[in-house]
Amino acid sequence: MAGLTLRNVGKRYGALSIIQGLNLDIHDGEFLVLVGPSGCGKSTLLRMIAGLEDISEGTVSIGGKVVNDLPASRRELSMVFQSYALYPHMSVRKNLAFGLQNFKVSRTEVERRVAEAARILQIEQLMDRKPRQLSGGQKQRVAIGRSIVREPQLFLFDEPLSNLDAELRVQMRAELASLYARLGTTMIYVTHDQVEAMTMASRIVVLRGGKVEQLGTPQELYTRPQNLFVAGFIGSPKINMLQAKATRGAGRTIVSVAGMPDFAIAELPTDDQALTLCVRPSSLRVGSGDVTGQGTIRLVEYLGSETLLHITLSSGQVLLATDNGRTPYRMGDPVTIGFDLSDLHYFDSAGQRIEPIQKESQVQ
Amino acid sequence: MKTSATDLELAIQMDEAARVAHELRLKRDRQNRNGRILKHIFLIIVSCVMLYPLFWLLASSFKPENEIFGSLTLWPSEFRLDNYTKGWYALPISFTVFYVNSAIVTGLSVIGNLVSCSFAAYAFARLSFTGRSFFFALMMMTLMIPYHVVLIPQYVQFLNLGWVDTYLPLVVPRFLASDAFFIFLMVQFFRQLPRELDEAAMIDGCSPFKIYWAIILPLSLPAMGTAAIFSLIWVWEDFLAPLIYLNDIKSYTVPLALRLFLDQEGQSAYGQMFAMSVLSLVPVVIFFVLFQKLIVRGIATSGMK
Amino acid sequence: MRRFFARNAPAYVFLLPWLIGFFLLALGPILASLYLSFTRYDMVSAPRWIGWGNYEYMFTRDRRFWKALEVTFTYVALAVPARLIMALGVAMLLDKGLRTIGLYRAIFYLPSLLGASIAIAILWRQLFAADGVVNQVLAMVGIQGASWITDPDTSLYTLVVLAMWQFGSPMLIFLAGLRGIPRDLYEAAEIDGTPGWRQFTRITLPLLAPVIFFNLVLQTIDSFKTFSSAFIISNGTGAPADSLLFYTVYLFNEAFKFFRMGYASALAWFLLVIIATFTAIAFFTSKYWVHYENERD
Repeated sequence: MAGLTLRNVGKRYGALSIIQGLNLDIHDGEFLVLVGPSGCGKSTLLRMIAGLEDISEGTVSIGGKVVNDLPASRRELSMVFQSYALYPHMSVRKNLAFGLQNFKVSRTEVERRVAEAARILQIEQLMDRKPRQLSGGQKQRVAIGRSIVREPQLFLFDEPLSNLDAELRVQMRAELASLYARLGTTMIYVTHDQVEAMTMASRIVVLRGGKVEQLGTPQELYTRPQNLFVAGFIGSPKINMLQAKATRGAGRTIVSVAGMPDFAIAELPTDDQALTLCVRPSSLRVGSGDVTGQGTIRLVEYLGSETLLHITLSSGQVLLATDNGRTPYRMGDPVTIGFDLSDLHYFDSAGQRIEPIQKESQVQ
Repeated sequence: MKTSATDLELAIQMDEAARVAHELRLKRDRQNRNGRILKHIFLIIVSCVMLYPLFWLLASSFKPENEIFGSLTLWPSEFRLDNYTKGWYALPISFTVFYVNSAIVTGLSVIGNLVSCSFAAYAFARLSFTGRSFFFALMMMTLMIPYHVVLIPQYVQFLNLGWVDTYLPLVVPRFLASDAFFIFLMVQFFRQLPRELDEAAMIDGCSPFKIYWAIILPLSLPAMGTAAIFSLIWVWEDFLAPLIYLNDIKSYTVPLALRLFLDQEGQSAYGQMFAMSVLSLVPVVIFFVLFQKLIVRGIATSGMK
Repeated sequence: MRRFFARNAPAYVFLLPWLIGFFLLALGPILASLYLSFTRYDMVSAPRWIGWGNYEYMFTRDRRFWKALEVTFTYVALAVPARLIMALGVAMLLDKGLRTIGLYRAIFYLPSLLGASIAIAILWRQLFAADGVVNQVLAMVGIQGASWITDPDTSLYTLVVLAMWQFGSPMLIFLAGLRGIPRDLYEAAEIDGTPGWRQFTRITLPLLAPVIFFNLVLQTIDSFKTFSSAFIISNGTGAPADSLLFYTVYLFNEAFKFFRMGYASALAWFLLVIIATFTAIAFFTSKYWVHYENERD
């Protein structure tokens, strides 16, 4: 069990800089998810931690020890690959035992650990098969089993569920979560799927272009995204983004959004006049709210438990709202759509989050 | 009513069209079949012409001396084995010695090739190190160096080392990966193995040597097999190097022995010469028949020789 | 510094045999050969520097040198196209999804494997001898056969025929290349009513051009290296009348029969230049055939 510290970590390929000046403190025993769009550097970062890529700048420390020059085999960690990377010419049993044999673990101990891992992952009946005789899900379990037997201080996962079909993915998510609950070892998990991130992580790191956009718990990321990118990345369906104009007045700000009536809020700590307003589809309500506007239903997507409404405002802006699925809506119907001020997120012209200033003096 | 009339017309037209199409198809099938038969006939003729020299050689080795150039018929009037029995001992040294010599040289060469070339191929394909692309380019360039250019200095070198008249000049270079073709073959193969296997093995605690031994090699048996077969056949048939380095008849390999046979008995004992020639080809043919798939695949993927 | 060693050491250990071999057996000898080509060296005494003497003799006064070049180039000019045409022709026949393709492939490839052997060279000598099989066959058809081997005018052709006999290996490469041409192209042409030969010139040839070129270069370079068959059939001397004096045979004799090592080295270096030129042309124009590959994708 170990925590990690990344100080000023950078990665360069020739002149191209993938990651720059990255700082991260990973707590011992937490399940940290690195999430972000393709090319954001999450896999590269993971591989640098693993020792499969050189670290161009900065230091990586595991359990307090700087491991920059330590080869992968000596970092006491395990990794589960997206393509499972099982040794094709070895049986499942041999796949599991191979790593342990390299570390000169005694035969009885190897057998014990292999049997234990097989039991936990329910692959006991597959022990003598070769990887090519296994299904995707089974291969996945063997890959996880291979990393468990090593009893490492750190688990690394590189998009392990990406190659599985949707149903299997949901099942494996639950199994990984229960595995984490059982072992409690520090786990670093890379994925591009924000649903996996939200459901499994104790903390999430959102990466873009080699930089940390936000680090926090799933709740923090969802309720208080620090910038536009995180707001749009986390949460499904995607958050609604509205261009707004702010006019500062005496101790308050008037916000104008096309298609909605202007409204006033407490002062915003910015001189910017162009703002972006964000509101989650689940926060939009049909027919009521602090601020309401008129629109036309453009598309109805009925999911059973909820309905997704695509609504066009008079300004042409399209909003996405979720409804409880009980009201039958029709395309082309006029509709009143609204939101509460407390559900709004404000972002300045640079895309950074800003909060209306709470006037302490007002609270007597 | 109009509808039924046009329907009927349509039906008639469609029927007509179907008939024409059917006839065209029959015609085409007939042409195809005729074409195929012609093709087979042609291929069979070519095959016979191609194989005739070999069959003639084989047949002549069983014929009595006077019959060999007498007739074209392949089948001997009487099956004689004495070309073989006499030919085996016709030279001052029996062919047993020559075959043993060839076996030693070939066996050692194959081992040398497999070991040294797979080492180099592993480094080029799987390990990153400074100068990799530079050395790889150099290695590829050696493919075009004709043996004759390095022949003389190598000979002088080996002469100074006192290695002339031993098997060392023939075998040692194989342990130094002198045949870049095999390195290339293996590199191509290694590159197809997923890198994640190496990475998983690294995380599992393997040194590069362990990865080579436990992961890459076991998964590369087809490439090793192909290299072994080609290596075997080429070394077995090698003429120039033994010609230069082996002076003592007792150390001759089979090709040299055959040439000696040609010189000494060539004008009189054709039958025996052919018999010995047949025997020299037998190992090659056997290996070819056994490992045909490997050989063909090896050529197709590497595109050489 | 230490990190450099730790990082690169394993690779260099694996590379060590090849590295040693490269310096001792390739680079060293090539440079030594260059040096020797400017000397007179008979192995009894030390090499004696004579500057351009060998080359001067080679190009201006050595008639056998020019004869050797003529023989070798003639051989290459005849053997390579002949071999490639046969290989392509048979490959195209075999490509149309024959069930017995495996058998034919084996039959046609076997000679390629055996062709370089002494046994085959010996066989060939007898096949084309005055009383050999070839003449017997011709006699059946009423043609009076010449004594192919001993006649300087015809001896080279026997080797060209031997080269043609070994069309199997380029054939395999053509087969692989033909397999890469999508069937739909032919089907579309069929529907358009394109005749067979037109399909060949408009579809097959252009798409096969890279492979043809590749084979052409490979076979050419290989043909320059022909030795054992020429040696055996000509009895080691290039007889009759130097008609089989292949460059490699000439070189061999200069070095190991007459021990004119310096001169032989000059000959060897010139051979290297010839081959290097051909290879350079291949790489230089490979832009065109590599370009083809990308287009096809």
